Amino acid sequence: MEAINDSPRLSEEPPQPQDRLSPEELKRYDRQIGPGVLTVAGQERLKRASALITRVGGMGGPAALMLTMGGVGRVVIAHGGEMISPDLNRQVLGSEPDLGKPRAEQFSAYLRTMNRFVEVEAIDHEPDDAEALELARQVDLIIACPPTFAERLRLNRAAVSAGIPFIDAAQWGMTGTLVVVQPGQTACLECLYPAAPPFEELFPVVGAISATIGSMAALEGIKILSGEGQPLWGQLLSYDGRQGRISQINLQRRADCDCCGNL
Amino acid sequence: MKIQIVVTGRGYDAAETLPNELTLADDASLEQALLALEEYFPDDRPLPPTCLLAVSGRHLGTVSQFQSITLREGDELTLIAPVAGG
Repeated sequence: MEAINDSPRLSEEPPQPQDRLSPEELKRYDRQIGPGVLTVAGQERLKRASALITRVGGMGGPAALMLTMGGVGRVVIAHGGEMISPDLNRQVLGSEPDLGKPRAEQFSAYLRTMNRFVEVEAIDHEPDDAEALELARQVDLIIACPPTFAERLRLNRAAVSAGIPFIDAAQWGMTGTLVVVQPGQTACLECLYPAAPPFEELFPVVGAISATIGSMAALEGIKILSGEGQPLWGQLLSYDGRQGRISQINLQRRADCDCCGNL
Repeated sequence: MKIQIVVTGRGYDAAETLPNELTLADDASLEQALLALEEYFPDDRPLPPTCLLAVSGRHLGTVSQFQSITLREGDELTLIAPVAGG
């Protein structure tokens, strides 16, 4: 398989003194620094990295939580509306006392309690085209977890335009998929879906698959942002929990893709 | 020859009545495999046109537009109906 460059934006920036890990941070991340996990340099790359996760429901919630706990320096979450009871079969960032309260505000407050070394920002709505692009230019990675293809394709387009890696995490019932995109080097989401396929916003879902796929997305994000491990560049990974089956597909770019065909 | 069938993604429950493998003529094409498979789907729940197609891990397009290939004994035909739930 052709070598894929890791996040060029991160590697271009030399570490500054404030990017070094403090003794407290080294203690916090002690269990994830060492053989088979991250190097100190990788953990420091995480510290000076940023990620946008939208939305932060069943999948985006665990993804944001794992990035925050893992030490990504700046975590930006976007999610509109208020918590409702049906969220709670899969929402890990909120609980019963949060019902009726604004999701973004509650979830960001919870994330801050999990890691004081991470800056957490909240956006209380779903970004439109212009805002998605503006946000993409301010972060190093986007993880897309919205319930519609229209939003996913918008975020994919923003990431491709900004030249940053993009992870699409999706689910239905007891199954889920991940697509990991390096713009200009691998297929993007629009290579797969030139037009948004039909999809229902109120889809069936079991919380265990949400957390599984969200955590897998976070792991891909940690590998990409730390520069450690082998990200699933250009792959679609499907985990069918009901049938107990994992499939992996090498995605092909489309030369006529409106989004990335010119890269 | 026999090929393995994996159907997953949105509406995978419709696939629970499908066989795990198909018996096809030697050197059958991907189109022939899809035609054979369609017979197992309920009339009101056909394969969606946006369903992704792959053979033994190789992405070939969607049900409505794909690169045709000749199948080989033991190939795995994967169909993933798009999912977007968050």
